Amino acid sequence: MLGVSATGIAAARPVGAPGKGRYRRSGPVLAFAILGAGVLIAAVVSLMLGSNLIDPVSVVGRLVDPASDAGAIVWGSRVPRTVLGLLVGFCLGIAGAVMQGQTRNPLADPGIFGVSAGASLAVVGGIYVLGTTSVLATLWLALAGAVVASILVFAIAAIGRGIASPVPLAIAGYAVSSLLIAVTSYFVLANETTLAAYRIWVVGALSSRQLAGTEPVVAFAVVGLIFAAANVRSLNSLSLGTELAQGLGESLLRARLVGLAAITLLTASAVAVTGPIGFVGLTAPHIARALVGGDHYRLLPASGLVGAVVLLLCDVVGRMIGGTSEVPSGVVLTVLGGIVFIVIVRRGRMAAL
Amino acid sequence: MNPAQALRRPARILVPLLAATLALTACSSTGSPADTSDAAAEGGWSYTDDTGKTVTLDAAPERIASYADYAIGLLSYDISPVAIFGRVDVASDFRFDDYDISDAAIVGNSYGEVDLEALAEAAPDLIVTGIYPTDREGTLDLEGPLYGLADAEQQAQLEKIAPIVAIEIGGDGLEVVESMNSLAEALGASDEAVATAKEAFDAASADLQAASEETGLEVTQLYADADGIYVVKPEDEPETQLYGQFGVDFTNLNPDGDYYWDIYSWENVGQMMTGDVLLTNIEGFQQEDLAAQPTFADSPALKAGQVHTWQSAALDYASQAAHMEELAEILRSSVKVS
Repeated sequence: MLGVSATGIAAARPVGAPGKGRYRRSGPVLAFAILGAGVLIAAVVSLMLGSNLIDPVSVVGRLVDPASDAGAIVWGSRVPRTVLGLLVGFCLGIAGAVMQGQTRNPLADPGIFGVSAGASLAVVGGIYVLGTTSVLATLWLALAGAVVASILVFAIAAIGRGIASPVPLAIAGYAVSSLLIAVTSYFVLANETTLAAYRIWVVGALSSRQLAGTEPVVAFAVVGLIFAAANVRSLNSLSLGTELAQGLGESLLRARLVGLAAITLLTASAVAVTGPIGFVGLTAPHIARALVGGDHYRLLPASGLVGAVVLLLCDVVGRMIGGTSEVPSGVVLTVLGGIVFIVIVRRGRMAAL
Repeated sequence: MNPAQALRRPARILVPLLAATLALTACSSTGSPADTSDAAAEGGWSYTDDTGKTVTLDAAPERIASYADYAIGLLSYDISPVAIFGRVDVASDFRFDDYDISDAAIVGNSYGEVDLEALAEAAPDLIVTGIYPTDREGTLDLEGPLYGLADAEQQAQLEKIAPIVAIEIGGDGLEVVESMNSLAEALGASDEAVATAKEAFDAASADLQAASEETGLEVTQLYADADGIYVVKPEDEPETQLYGQFGVDFTNLNPDGDYYWDIYSWENVGQMMTGDVLLTNIEGFQQEDLAAQPTFADSPALKAGQVHTWQSAALDYASQAAHMEELAEILRSSVKVS
C-alpha cells in the first residue's frame, strides 16, 4: 500500500503537514479578514456592474425598492447570479480542497470522481428520454446523475478493495467518466433537440439562473459542507500518508466515505445550478494554501472563500467584455483560470504541497 | 434548423475573436460567382456553381450525394440522392417526412462527419453542399471547407470521390432559391416541375403578403439561451430577407454592426421587446424558458403568448411555400400588442 501511495500521482510531500512555520506567523486571521473583504467586494461589484450599465446610485435604489427595478435587471438578474455565484464558488472551492487532500494530488479536480460526467449524462438522458428541458428538471437530473456516478465510482473502487489508496478511486473515476461521456455523446448525436439543449447547459454560466427552485440544491450543499467539516481531521491525518494515518487510528473507509460524500454533494450542487464549471475547484485550494497554509481546518473555509471570489469576479469580467452581450463565466474561468494556474505553478507554490 | 445559426453558435463565446477572424478571412474573397448551367457543346455536362467553380463531366450526373438541406430541395423535384449527409441525424429529421429516402445511403449525421467508405460505395457522380458568406458583403471564404465539411483535408477526400458543387446561402433569399433551381434543372428537373413548384411558391408568398398587410404585425426572429437573446438581422438571413420582400415586418433594430444577429444579454433584453410575434429558434429556449426570465417578463409578445417555435426551412420552392403558409397562419392568429 505504501508503495502505491508513494507513486507519482501522490504529492511528494504530505498535504498540510503540520509545523510549516512560515505560514503560521503570517496570521490566518489576517488572511481570513482579507478573504472576507474580498467576498464582500466581489458581491458589491457583482451587484453594481453588468452588461446593462445602470449607475450605482440607481442600483442601490432598486435594491432598496424592488418595485422601482424596471425590467427586473437588479432583482431578476444581478441578485440571483451574485447569490448563486457565491454559493457555487464556495462549494467548488471546498470540494476541490477535499479532493486534493483525499487524493494527495495537487492536480485533482472535483470532476475526477465522475460527478460532472454523471450530471451531464442525466441531463442529456432527461432531454432524450423524457423530453424535458426545463431549468428545474435539469437541476434535479444533474444532482441525481452526479450522486449516482459518484456512488458507482466508489463501488467499483471498493470492489477492488482499493479504498486505502486514492489511485484506484481516481482510475475508477476516470473509467466511469469515460463511459458516461461516451453514452452522453451517443444521446447528443442521436437527437437534435438533445444536442441543442446540451450545448446550452454544458457551458457553465451564472447568467439566466434564478433563485426560485434552488432550495433543494442549497440543502444538498449544506449537507456536503457538514461532511466536509467532518472530514477535516481525517484529511490532516491522510496528508501524512495512508500508513501513518492508519497508525494514528484513522479508519480509511470512513475517511474516504465522508470525503467522497462531501465532494459529491458539493460538486453536484454546483453543477446542478451552473452546469460544469472547471478550474475553480482546481485553483482555489492552491491560492488558499498560499494564504493560510496546508492545515485543512483553515484550508477548507479559505478555499471556499477564494472559490466564491474567483467565480464571481470571472462572471463580472464576462459581463463587461461582450458589449450588450456577455461571455459565460465558464469560458472566462477557463481562460483566466489557465493563466492563473500557470502563474501558480511557475511561482513554485506547488512545492508547498 | 438553421445551419447558419448553428455554424455561428460558437461565435457567441468569443465574439471579438470571431470578428478578428472574419476580418482576416475577408481578405480571401474572390470575384462574384456566376450561376450558369448548360449542357456543354460536346454533349457532356458542365455546371458553374456559386463559388465560380465549373464542374465538367462526360455525362449529366445521375448519382448525387448531397448535404441534407439541398437533398430536400432536390427531392422536391423528384431527384433522389444516392447519399445524404446532415448536421443532425438524417433518419429522424422531420423535413424528410414527405420524401422516401430509404434507398439513400446516410453517410453523415453530425456536422463535419462524412463516412468516406460509405460515400465511395454509393458511387456519386456529384456532391452537393453549401457555402455561407462570412459577412454582409457576401464574402466567400474559398480557402476554408465548404459547409457541412470538417476541414480542407476532408473536402479533398470527398473531391477524390466526386466533384463538389456549392450553393451560396446568404443575403438575397430568392437568389438562393434560384440557385437551387438552376442546379436541380441541370440535374434533370423538368421545366414543368419547376413551374409547378413556382406556382405554389407564388401563391404562398402572395398569401403571406396579404397576411402581413392585414395584420401589420412586427415579427422578431430570435434564438435564446442562457447567455441572452440573439435577434436575427432580417437582411442577413436569406429566409427573413425573402419574407421581408413579401411584406413581413421583421424586428430590425440595428441593421448595421455585427453580421447576422445582435446579442442582448438578459440584462439588456428590454431593448428588443418591440415585436408582436416571437419566432424562437428550435434549438434554444422556448416559451416556458423565456417566461422563466424575470428580465423578459415585460415582453408584450410573451405576455400575449404569441411565441412560436421556428425552424428555418430549406431554401427551395416547395419547402418555402409550406413555410410561408405556416407563417401566414401564425400572423393571422396573432394580434398587435406593442
